[in-house]
Amino acid sequence: MNTAASSSEPGVRVEIDDVQSGALRPRPVPYEGKFVFLRVDDRHAGRALLRRLLPLTASGLPSADRSQDAWVAVAFTYQGLRALGVPQESLDSFPRAFREGMAARAELIGDVGESAPAHWETPFGTGEVHIALSALSSEAAQLDKELERARVAYEDTPGVQVIWQQDVHQLPTGRTTFGFRDGISQPNIEGVGLLGSNPQEAPIKAGEFLLGYPDETGSPPPMPSPDVLGRNGTYAAVRKIHTNVAAWRRYLRANTASAEEEALLAAKMVGRWPSGAPLALAPEHDDPELAADPHRVNNFLYRENDDRGFRCPAGAHIRRINPRDSTIIGDARMHRLIRRGTTYGPPLPEGVLEDDGADRGLVGVFLGAHLERQFEFIEAEWVNDGNFIGHPGEKDPVAGHHDGTGSATIPEKPVRRRLQNLPGFVVTRGGEYCFLPGLRALRWIAELED
Amino acid sequence: MGSQDEDVRAMAPHIRVLGDPRTDPWQESHAMTATTGATPSAQPERPGRSDGVCSEFTVFTKIKPGHADALRADLAALASGSDDVKGRAALRQIGTLHDARHVIFDNDTRFMFASVFDGSWDTYIDDFAKTVIGSHFDTIFSHSEGFPGISDPGVKEWFVAHQAPAKSFVSSYPDLTVQQIWKDHRVDEAFEEVLDTPEFRAALDNPANAELLATPAFQKLLEEAAA
Repeated sequence: MNTAASSSEPGVRVEIDDVQSGALRPRPVPYEGKFVFLRVDDRHAGRALLRRLLPLTASGLPSADRSQDAWVAVAFTYQGLRALGVPQESLDSFPRAFREGMAARAELIGDVGESAPAHWETPFGTGEVHIALSALSSEAAQLDKELERARVAYEDTPGVQVIWQQDVHQLPTGRTTFGFRDGISQPNIEGVGLLGSNPQEAPIKAGEFLLGYPDETGSPPPMPSPDVLGRNGTYAAVRKIHTNVAAWRRYLRANTASAEEEALLAAKMVGRWPSGAPLALAPEHDDPELAADPHRVNNFLYRENDDRGFRCPAGAHIRRINPRDSTIIGDARMHRLIRRGTTYGPPLPEGVLEDDGADRGLVGVFLGAHLERQFEFIEAEWVNDGNFIGHPGEKDPVAGHHDGTGSATIPEKPVRRRLQNLPGFVVTRGGEYCFLPGLRALRWIAELED
Repeated sequence: MGSQDEDVRAMAPHIRVLGDPRTDPWQESHAMTATTGATPSAQPERPGRSDGVCSEFTVFTKIKPGHADALRADLAALASGSDDVKGRAALRQIGTLHDARHVIFDNDTRFMFASVFDGSWDTYIDDFAKTVIGSHFDTIFSHSEGFPGISDPGVKEWFVAHQAPAKSFVSSYPDLTVQQIWKDHRVDEAFEEVLDTPEFRAALDNPANAELLATPAFQKLLEEAAA
């Protein structure tokens, strides 16, 4: 609940050159990207591939020349580490959630009904996803160059199969399929040298995001053994989320009387206007000028000006997943995440209210040193329940898995408004828990012997 | 929601372990129940029973020889003066603790801590350790043998190892979280205050309000207002 760091231990220096760029670098704007899943049928081939990928794997902070900047990241599932021959003793030393994988934890994180693993896209949740590659760049040409180098590496390696690929790109609007600018809020991480997006957020301990450093509890996060494998690594929950844009638009239309009301209702559910301007700073109308100012767009807290949520409801999407200093049960700093959403599929043309059958949505990557305390806690307690804000059973109006009976409370005078019969606007198409090691760890895996 | 039948609840689905060769002590607990009708917590494998939205947590420890009087003194201090004020403020902050008790027994050799929480015991335990309650725990349990300290990464495992899950646990309000109880209390106070105003009486008699008064929703309110 406090915004100040609990104890300041100055001088934590993060070994940024050993940390994969995929872990900490903010997503560029605009962006092009690709996710590739590989299956390792032969551990020697898998390690040979890693040796080819090592020189392509970027670390450190963004290049000064953005047009030359593209980065490939390499991550592994538990099954992947096993397939590569990581010793059982090391495998056993990983935290339980990672060892079990996202599919086994589906019920707990709210992936039920249509979002249950039984309905997931192949190969999500089958145990066949071993290596997850991602490549991201601000430039299509630069991305292609990196991808070509990576493609040569895996296509020339028999014993390793490409089993899934997904292109992602920023829509021409610069917004998500729902029509909202995203990727605005990033935590301020101590010792990393990247600016957080909210100047009012005290730096968060590096150990919340990287293994090998003290976290907010004062102790380092649990780390797999040996040390070289864990240090400078982190965990990534990767999810493909289909968005039902037509249902979203129909719900807004059905519950409002004018275009103006419709825009406000959508903003109340998201917590920001389409431009990205937050309700906390722009409660009545969108403010594109404010949104375009990087010093202002995320420069706010909730308690002083909006404790009761008359501007931004406590249940709004952005306030749930990052409550800042809101009055909630628990301590928000213990549940911070690096969130990186990328869009896939074509936009639904503006004004269309009927589903066109196209697959569209986002590939979300949620990074942190504690899968259970961060990603899983946020999904279970903040996205798919509302006890922490005093509304037990109420889910995130946008990202929660509703089944047509969901409700959402919007504070208003003289009496609150309560949305009823919320349908689900998102469907989980699949997800995997991945470990994103540091570069030395990557080399350690690549050079395993037997 | 919340079946009262213990056998039914004991059979509620567990989050099971896939391809997991390791067994932690609490995984073997058959007493573990998934909370019926409430959101499962991020750590559903913990022992302890649930009824509706809340769960019980009871630990038994051995008091270090000669520490019983010091423990008694620490407990008395926590229940008095400014420590009590701070403790109650921390309870507001935690917002999930229904009640808790500390008992010294067996001729000053053993200690019991028993409590009832919303959700599972450790949904918020990491956060909890950061409040003044965390330092209270540190003080109280420092008199128990083997306590590693509240900020030790192994503290949850220590508590679990000393936990004795209830054989039966029942709540009179299985649907109400602490937050909801506080909200209901505030609403009731405000409602009673409205009933005491002559203006409200007058509004009831005003024909302009007849339509509102006739709605089933308002009739329910009037039923509560009648006694």
